Amino acid sequence: MINKSPSKICKNIRKKILFSIYNARSGHVGPSLSSVELIYSIIKLGINYKKKNRNKFILSKGHAAPALYATLDEFKLLKKNELKTLRKVKSRLQGHPDKKKLNLVDTGTGALGQGLSISIGYSLSSNLLKLNTKIFCLLGDGEIQEGQIWESAMYIGAHNIKNIIVFIDGNKFQNERSIAETLPEKNLLKKWQSFGFITKKINGHSINSIEKIINSFMKNKNNKPLLVYCDTIKGKGVSFMENNNKFHSVKDLSEENYKKAISELS
Amino acid sequence: MSLSIREAFGLELVRLGKKNKKIVAVSCDLKDACKLSFFFDKFPKRSFEVGIAEANAVGIAAGLALSGFRPYLASFASFITGKNVEIRTSISYNNCGVVIVGTHGGLIGPDGATQSSFQDIAVMRSLPYFEIIQPSSPKETRQAVAYSARSKKPLYLRIARNEVMEFLPKNYKFKMGFPALIKKGKKNLIISSGPILSNCYYASKKINKDIAIMNLSSIKPLNEKYILKILKKYKNIITVEDHSTIGGLGSVIAEIIAKNNLNKNLKIHGIQDDFIDSDTPSSLEKHYKLDINSLFKIFKKFF
Repeated sequence: MINKSPSKICKNIRKKILFSIYNARSGHVGPSLSSVELIYSIIKLGINYKKKNRNKFILSKGHAAPALYATLDEFKLLKKNELKTLRKVKSRLQGHPDKKKLNLVDTGTGALGQGLSISIGYSLSSNLLKLNTKIFCLLGDGEIQEGQIWESAMYIGAHNIKNIIVFIDGNKFQNERSIAETLPEKNLLKKWQSFGFITKKINGHSINSIEKIINSFMKNKNNKPLLVYCDTIKGKGVSFMENNNKFHSVKDLSEENYKKAISELS
Repeated sequence: MSLSIREAFGLELVRLGKKNKKIVAVSCDLKDACKLSFFFDKFPKRSFEVGIAEANAVGIAAGLALSGFRPYLASFASFITGKNVEIRTSISYNNCGVVIVGTHGGLIGPDGATQSSFQDIAVMRSLPYFEIIQPSSPKETRQAVAYSARSKKPLYLRIARNEVMEFLPKNYKFKMGFPALIKKGKKNLIISSGPILSNCYYASKKINKDIAIMNLSSIKPLNEKYILKILKKYKNIITVEDHSTIGGLGSVIAEIIAKNNLNKNLKIHGIQDDFIDSDTPSSLEKHYKLDINSLFKIFKKFF
């Protein structure tokens, strides 16, 4: 991976996502592809898996598990050929992250809306142990329809918790249809602001923008809780998957589509 | 001496908290009612008031447990065990060591059906890795809470609101997975736990027959070999609970009997498939036939 440009690495991660989902014959391809730059930058800058008392990464939108696994593989944290075991019996790479099987993940997720609360738990523990742990929490833009997200936002704001950074993967779609067709967001950033957050809006595929925010967060520059809305494209990187919600979750990715997708990324 | 089971819980948690710095408390605006307030007063830095937001509280407790703490998350059993998908994903799926303390199980009184819990054991039994304990007296509560602090597993502690006179023998020892016989007998066996156990105890004393009583306070996991050995000795078995007859103590025993093909005369006595009404706890016990007199009549007829 050394000497490769970040954009090349992200292309590789995308190829690995497609490979593992093609091999598993199912998986959430669209919402994995939209979060590649975010997951890559969080892990690269924020999480040193070899360190004791390390920072935490909470993939609250657990259905983007293939993107997490592909990134861990890119960082040589999985076993050789392990991506081939995605969604299989006894694999560490379950359909949604399972901490019991893959200890690198900081919590199991899958039923939406719960990761931000777990982030608070990690934050309180960091305060008790005086560790200054940083917690990176990645939410889906559909996921924030869950009420628990707002319970946790209220708590974070009330206690001015500053060691959690919340990213929203704003890919504009959810399971069935677009967000606009399902439950349109009204004043989304203002909602978070009113809960006590500083909000930023960035291009979620611009590694530069993401890294700038993470670097400043790592230096404790924020004096309030931090929410970053990331404009992303569902299915990013594969032309026929982009903004096409047929590829939210695929049942069987055809060989033709798989090959076409890989050639676009090569 | 009479002490409510919830008070015994609150006092014991404070005693344990002095030595064990990993114990922390999470409340959802019911710490006074749950007696978690004793811990809050003594250890404010290790205590977290989340507000009326049980789902968030479950996740926060999970995060604390994932980083090595032993959180006690207490609320009314009906409210907190109602957060099934949150407990299932954030605690059970992670197999992380949160102790959920559900108070106000059973016949709590005038607040009525929404506040009192009679499905919690059924719901919590089905979640993987959870240990379940329902202590029956103040003394046993202290021992069970001490056990819960030693265990690393997710654990559900059903704590009654009721005041119970201490009736367990002086040398009584709580042992997880091994429910004790607190009264010996030959043909007939009563199985119960929680505050209703003492009603069973006093009711059985009025009957001039050999009746054994098992205190099924440790509900999950059970040492099946040990339980089987006891069940095999008795012909007539009745389970008594202030909980739905679907999925509670009666179901635990019925499952063991069915699985092992035992030929037993089993009666499951508890709350039928319905919501309970409002009234004083003693009136409710009479209405649902869980008071000493009603139990006396039921036992006399059954044995």
